[in-house]
Amino acid sequence: MEDPMAAIRETFFQECEEQLAELETGLIAMENGTAEAETVNAVFRAVHSMKGGAGIFALDSLVRFAHVFETALDKVRSGTLEGTPIVIGVFLRAADVLADLVRAARENGSVDEARTATMVAEFDQINNAGEAPAPAKAAAATTGLFEPVPEESSTWEISFTPRAELYAKANEAAIILRELRRLGDIDVRLDTSGLPDLSELDPEGAYLTWHIKLTSDCDEAAIRHVFEFVEDDCVLLITPPEPPGFAPGTVITGDNGFKFEFFPPSEEEEEPEAEVVAAPPPVAREVQAPPPPPKNQAVEVMAAKAEAAASVSATIRVDLDRVDRMIDLVGELVINEAMLSQRVLEAGIARASGVAMALEELEHLTREIQDSVMAIRAQPVRSVFQRMPRLVREVAAQTHKQVRLVTEGEGTEVDKTVIERIADPLTHMIRNAIDHGLESTERRLEIGKPAEGTVKLIALHRSGRIVLEVSDDGGGINRARVKEKAIENGVIAPDAQLSDDEIDNLIFLPGFSTAAKVSDISGRGVGMDVVRQSVAALGGRISITSRPGLGSTFTLSLPLTLAVLDGMVVSAHGHTLIIPLSAIVETLKPRAQDVFPLDHEINVLALRGGYVPMVDIATSLGYSEQPIEPEQSVALLVEGEGGVRAVLLVDAIHGQRQVVIKSLEANYRAVPGIGAATVMGDGRVALILDVDAMVRDARSDSGARAPEQLVLTDAA
Amino acid sequence: MSNALELPSILDLIAASGLHEAFTSRRGEALEVDAGGVTRLGAQCLQVLLAARAAWAADGMGLAVENISDEFSATLELLGATPEDLTHHAQQDDPKHDGKELAA
Repeated sequence: MEDPMAAIRETFFQECEEQLAELETGLIAMENGTAEAETVNAVFRAVHSMKGGAGIFALDSLVRFAHVFETALDKVRSGTLEGTPIVIGVFLRAADVLADLVRAARENGSVDEARTATMVAEFDQINNAGEAPAPAKAAAATTGLFEPVPEESSTWEISFTPRAELYAKANEAAIILRELRRLGDIDVRLDTSGLPDLSELDPEGAYLTWHIKLTSDCDEAAIRHVFEFVEDDCVLLITPPEPPGFAPGTVITGDNGFKFEFFPPSEEEEEPEAEVVAAPPPVAREVQAPPPPPKNQAVEVMAAKAEAAASVSATIRVDLDRVDRMIDLVGELVINEAMLSQRVLEAGIARASGVAMALEELEHLTREIQDSVMAIRAQPVRSVFQRMPRLVREVAAQTHKQVRLVTEGEGTEVDKTVIERIADPLTHMIRNAIDHGLESTERRLEIGKPAEGTVKLIALHRSGRIVLEVSDDGGGINRARVKEKAIENGVIAPDAQLSDDEIDNLIFLPGFSTAAKVSDISGRGVGMDVVRQSVAALGGRISITSRPGLGSTFTLSLPLTLAVLDGMVVSAHGHTLIIPLSAIVETLKPRAQDVFPLDHEINVLALRGGYVPMVDIATSLGYSEQPIEPEQSVALLVEGEGGVRAVLLVDAIHGQRQVVIKSLEANYRAVPGIGAATVMGDGRVALILDVDAMVRDARSDSGARAPEQLVLTDAA
Repeated sequence: MSNALELPSILDLIAASGLHEAFTSRRGEALEVDAGGVTRLGAQCLQVLLAARAAWAADGMGLAVENISDEFSATLELLGATPEDLTHHAQQDDPKHDGKELAA
C-alpha cells in the first residue's frame, strides 16, 4: 500500500529539483549581469517555495537554512543589499549547500553541518557588509539564524492579510490570532477597507487585513512560527518593536557626529513605520528590519502574481513508466504496421489498390504518432547543464584554479534516456578539462593568458544527432608526454609512428592518465576510457581535437533517441542487416580496377583520388569464409567517429526503413561489430551494424603500423 | 415586522457561500439575525456579515444581530470586531460606522 504522504513528499522533492535548477539559473544570470528585474524575484521564490514545502515535512535544517538564504535574497530584492560578485558568490555556494540539504532530506542522509554553519556565517558577513556597520553587532553565529532575542517586553506590529488560498487550505485567521495571543497581549485592529459590496463579494474570497500590536518578549522567529504554514498564502509584515530606552523627543549623537531625534509614532500612519531612525548599539536589527512596507508589499504582490502565472503553465507531470510503456507500444505498432505491409505485398495486392493506399496512410500516421511520443520524452539538455556550474566551482576550488564555465545550447532537446546517461560522461569530461586541460593560474599568467581559464560546454543538433562539445583554453594535449607514457605502459611500440590525431586519441585507452600527479579529481586515469565506453554504449562517438597552447575540444556525438533508428536494410550472405543511415555517406558499385589489395586480407578502394579501406561484412561477421568479389557487391561508403571512412561491402541493398531498436545486450549479449537488433516486418530479427567498430577494424588492420592493441582493446 | 435569519452553528469556509446567499436573498428588508447557535466563526463568514451590514446600511434597512453566543462573541473580539460592527439601526445612522475602519 502506498503512503499518500510519501507520494506528496516525492513530489515535493521533484519540485525542489526544479526550484534548485531555477535558483542556479537565476543566480548565474545575476552573476553574469544578464539578470532581469524578475530574476531576483524568481530566485527568491525558488528558495521561498522550498522553505514552505520543507516546513510541511518538518525538515527543520532545510527550513532554517532556506530561511537565512531567503532573508539575504530578500534584502537584495528590496535593494538593501547590493548584489555584488561577492554576494552572488555566497549565494551560489549557498545554493549548493541547499541542494545538499535537499538531497540529504530526500535520502534521510546527513549533511556536512560544518559547511552549513560556515555558509550561515558567510551570510552574516555579507549582511554586515551590505549594511551600515552596526557598532556592536551581537554575533548570532552560535545559532546563526535569527537575531538576538530582545529581553524586555516590547510591542511588535504585525500586519496580516490572508489570501483566499489561505482559507482554501483550511487555515483560519481566527486560529492564527489565537496563537498570537498565546505569545502575549494582542491588540487587534480589523481593516475592512478591502471589503467589496455584498453583491460583488466572493464568499470564499479574502478581503480583510488585521493590524496586530503584540506586546511580548518573544523574538521574531516565534512570531513567524505562528504564520509558518500560511506564510505563502498571505501578505505578512512584521515590524520589530521600538528599541527601548528612547522616549519620543530623545536626541542622541552618533560617533560620526550625526544627531538623531526620536519622534512619537504618527497615529495617522496607515502602515507602521518600518525602519527605526537609528539603531542603538546592542540591537543587530538590520538583519530583520523589513524594507519599507509599501515597497515590500508591492514586491509581494508582484511575486504573488508571477507565482499565479507560473502555476497556470500548461504542463502535467507524468510517470516516466507510462511514457516508456507507450513508447514501447508505439514501437510494437511500427513493427506491426511493417509486418502488415509485408503481408499485403506478399498477397499480391496492387500498389494502387484501396488497401495499399490505406496502408500508406496508416504508415504516415504511425510515424507521426511515433514522433509525437518521442517528443514527449525529448527534453532540453538544460537539466544536465545546470549541474555543471556547481561541479566547476567545486573542481576549481579543489585544483585552486579560476574557471569560468560558458554554456551554449541548453535548449537543445534530446531523449530523456540520453539525457540521463550523458551526465556522467560530461561530468568526467569537465573535470578532466579543468584538472588536466587548464594550466595552473600561475602558469597561465606566466604565458600571458588570463588567470581565469574558460571551459565551454556546447550542445547542438547536427544531422540527426546531438553533439556535445567540451572545450578548454588550456595547454592542449602534451603529445610528447602522451606518447612517452603510452610507450611506458606498453600501449604502443617504442618505434610506432603515430599521427597527432592518433596520439591525441591514445588518452581514451584504458588506464591512461597524463597528469604527472594522480589527483583525486580525475582519478587514476579511469576517466577517458570509461567516458568512451559509456558513450559507445549509447551509440555515440567521442573524439578529441587539440591544439598545443590553445586548448582541447572533446566532441561527443550521440543519437537523439535510443528507441528508433533510420537504417538501410542490406543483406550479406543471406543475412539481413541494418546500417544506420546517419553513418552512410554514399553507396556505389565498385569497379575491379579501383580495388587494390593492401595485404592478404585488406583491400582498399580508390575513390576520388584517395584510398579507403574496404570491409567485407559477411567475412568480418563470420557469416562466410569466402571473401566477396568486390565487383559482385554493393559498396557503402560510411563515416565513423571522427570522420574516419571505410567502404562496407554487402550483397544487396533493400531500401531504407525506420527500425525500433531492441537492445542486444539486454536480450542476448553484446556482439562485436553489432550495435543492436530489431524486428523486421516479416517477424525476423535483423542485426544493426556498429559502423564505428567496423570502421575502426578496417583502419586498424590497414593502418599497418598503428599497433593493434590501440584499437582492439575496446572493440573486443 | 422584520425577517429572521438563524445562523448555522458552524460558520466556516464551507458555510460562507450559504450565508452569502441567505443575506443576498433577504436584501431590501429589515433583518434580525439570531447568533445563538453559533459555535464557530471563521473570517470568511465574518466578511459576509460585515459586507451585509454595509449593504443593509446602504439600503437604509435595519440589521440586528441578537442572542449572541459566547463563542460568537469571543471570536468576534479576537478578530477585532464587535457585535456593533454587524448591526445597523434603520433611520439613525451611527456616524461611527461610516468609516470602513473598525476598531476593537
